[in-house]
Amino acid sequence: MTASSNRWHFNAIAGYSLVGAIALIAVVAVFWTPYDPLHLSVRNKLQAPSLAHWLGTDELGRDVASRAMAGAATSCWVALLSVLFAVTSGTVIGLLAGFIRGWTDRIMMAFNDTLLAFPGILLALAIMVIVGANQYGIIIALGLAYAPMVVRVVRGSVLSIREKEYIEASVMIGNNPVVTMLRHVLPNCVAPIAVLATSMFGWVILSESALSFLGLGVPPPAPTWGNMLSGSRSYIQSAVWLGLVPGVCISLTLLGVNLLGDHLRDRLDPRIQ
Amino acid sequence: MMTTTSSTMMAGPTPILRVRNLSVSAIASGAKLTDAVSFDVGAGEFLAVVGESGSGKTMVARSVLGLLAAGVQVDAGEILLGDESLLKATPKRMRELRGGTVGMVFQEPMVSLNPAIRIGEQMAEGLRLHTQLGKPEVEAACVAMLKRVQIANPLQCMRSFPHEFSGGMRQRIMLASVMLLKPKLLIADEPTTALDTLTQLEVLDIMVSLARTDGTAVLLITHNLGLVSRYADKAIVMQSGKVVEAGEAKTLLRSPRHPYTKQLVDALPKRGNKVVGDVDLQPILQVKNLVVNYPGRRAGWFTKPVSNRAVDGVDLTVNQAETVAVVGGSGCGKTSLGRAMLRLNSAASGEILFRGQPMQDLNGNALHDFRMACQLVFQDPYSSLNPRMRVADIVAEPLNHTAMGHDDKMQLVAQVMEEVGLNKLGQRFGHELSGGQRQRVAIARAIVRRPAFVVADEPVSALDMTIQAQILALFAELQRAHQFACLFISHDLAAVEQIADRVIVMQSGKIVEEGSRDDIFDRPQHAYTRALLAARMAT
Repeated sequence: MTASSNRWHFNAIAGYSLVGAIALIAVVAVFWTPYDPLHLSVRNKLQAPSLAHWLGTDELGRDVASRAMAGAATSCWVALLSVLFAVTSGTVIGLLAGFIRGWTDRIMMAFNDTLLAFPGILLALAIMVIVGANQYGIIIALGLAYAPMVVRVVRGSVLSIREKEYIEASVMIGNNPVVTMLRHVLPNCVAPIAVLATSMFGWVILSESALSFLGLGVPPPAPTWGNMLSGSRSYIQSAVWLGLVPGVCISLTLLGVNLLGDHLRDRLDPRIQ
Repeated sequence: MMTTTSSTMMAGPTPILRVRNLSVSAIASGAKLTDAVSFDVGAGEFLAVVGESGSGKTMVARSVLGLLAAGVQVDAGEILLGDESLLKATPKRMRELRGGTVGMVFQEPMVSLNPAIRIGEQMAEGLRLHTQLGKPEVEAACVAMLKRVQIANPLQCMRSFPHEFSGGMRQRIMLASVMLLKPKLLIADEPTTALDTLTQLEVLDIMVSLARTDGTAVLLITHNLGLVSRYADKAIVMQSGKVVEAGEAKTLLRSPRHPYTKQLVDALPKRGNKVVGDVDLQPILQVKNLVVNYPGRRAGWFTKPVSNRAVDGVDLTVNQAETVAVVGGSGCGKTSLGRAMLRLNSAASGEILFRGQPMQDLNGNALHDFRMACQLVFQDPYSSLNPRMRVADIVAEPLNHTAMGHDDKMQLVAQVMEEVGLNKLGQRFGHELSGGQRQRVAIARAIVRRPAFVVADEPVSALDMTIQAQILALFAELQRAHQFACLFISHDLAAVEQIADRVIVMQSGKIVEEGSRDDIFDRPQHAYTRALLAARMAT
């Protein structure tokens, strides 16, 4: 009993510290980085980590530490907004489809399943082409690409929750459907949404890097962890730190977000406390 | 107490199962779950272990099977099956015994059969594990056993999946697959609690006759004293892990000595006083020729589903402050009737009159007004409360639709919580309450707006006997205080006898008999009513 609650405690602290540290770095990077992340210096290219350049320099002589810091700001901002967009739109549609049922549900779900049948990255690619390759285009593209998954999960929970007797009790009390939906159905769907949102955060960071690799991500030379990772590919044997730095950044962020997500899910569930 | 136990129970030849001074405790907290429990069961003998939830009766069964949950351990005592000590047996030996020599039947027939495997294969599995029989012999044995549990078409049954059967049939099939191995001891943990009264008898009658024929000793774990008096030879009564009384079942129930046994016997429902006098009756809710359909299976993709009649032309009047009980087996349409009367599902035809006004076609504001005057109490106290809301908020929610100010609301909520005996528990969540307390919350939510009409759909069937008695008493008391009319839906005639003024007996969607409570219970006319009454467990 005590052992497991200690472990939970530890996980929560680890999650908060990781996410807090990354958020702090991202905020600092907006105002200050050790070097200008865009400054080219061909003479200093591909230097190993040293006192002057803590994490070395890349193929164009840019400081990797500065780029990783600036990348934290862009990558996390893009991922956060995309996930928020996907979760909000997906929850609204899933809630409506599951609660209203009937033809509304059938039409919404047919459309949703069509979107779901496309690989997320392909869908994002198509949307990017339409909205244009910039930071906000990518947020819309990734948000739309990941929303169908949220719709599925939310609709599933709504379908099971709306059969519970407390929903019927709410109808008998005289609550209108909107109140029933917001007060009795939505709060009971929070756990699966929280879990999905935190794992989605990771997928979105990776998808953003894939899009950058295809030249449709956040446009260069602005650094993101994704385009740093894809740029490092050619130097994997000569300059390991180029891939290692953004890779470790992404891993730590995902670890932190997932630990935080688990903790939030438990905190939000009165049955577990 | 221990000496009387031994002397009365050591009478026959060597008992099949002997439990001596069994003490089980939770490792973490050290709390004693059973404390020096002793009893014997002889061949062909039927021993009932009686007690409420948490009395340790299931722990006893689990220790015999060697299936104690992690975090629970046996501190002291001995369990002898024949001459073999089960506490010293190796895990391998226990696996041989389980299913082979000791059979078990669990409470939920819905989950104890694997839904993905055909009945025939599930039954054969045990025989394959414990015997060397060939395929044809196994099949013959299964067919013979299914016949003994009165399954009409054994061969077809063996090809079917569990979901194709009703709860009672599933429990009979479960029984068949257990008895197939001719166990010396059968442990049945609340085997019929999930079934309706008639089906309970059916299953237990078969269980007893199988056990008598095969000389199997039966250990029945139950909270239902009615079943004990009807079937058991001997009984032990458990409270907080201790055996408080033991002896012949009949004597024990007729002249209980221990205060707790007396309390249990008193909790058996008795005929209550009439709630209303013979003052002129004001009809609150009437239905005339009500028909409710539910969609059946579609024959093809483009054909309309054939609808089945759940309620077939029912006429019914509920008067002010009166309790009308609707009684019948599962699937007789009683729940559909109650829900249609509240307009929760729509009626195919017929009239619903509330204080003389037709309600069947209302919607929008008028329907809302009707809902304001009616309420519903559900069967399952575990899914009728929103797990994310505190008790006080749940009870206060219906008042959002009244013009009351915040302070008045809080005052009324506090008053109602006190009425249902829940003061000080307002800040808890539903899962922090017991089943009985949860049902009190559901009742508080139903009565807080002082409704004129309440439908109670099996409100006590999921609760322990003593809790049932308390909830029924609370219901009667609230009804006296607030004069609401009540439609009490139940399969349990004992509860109905305690609370109802009038009784309506339903079968296959139709009313087969209607009358005052005393008429129905003392002078039943219809054969189905008589069958239901015979199934009522009298002590």
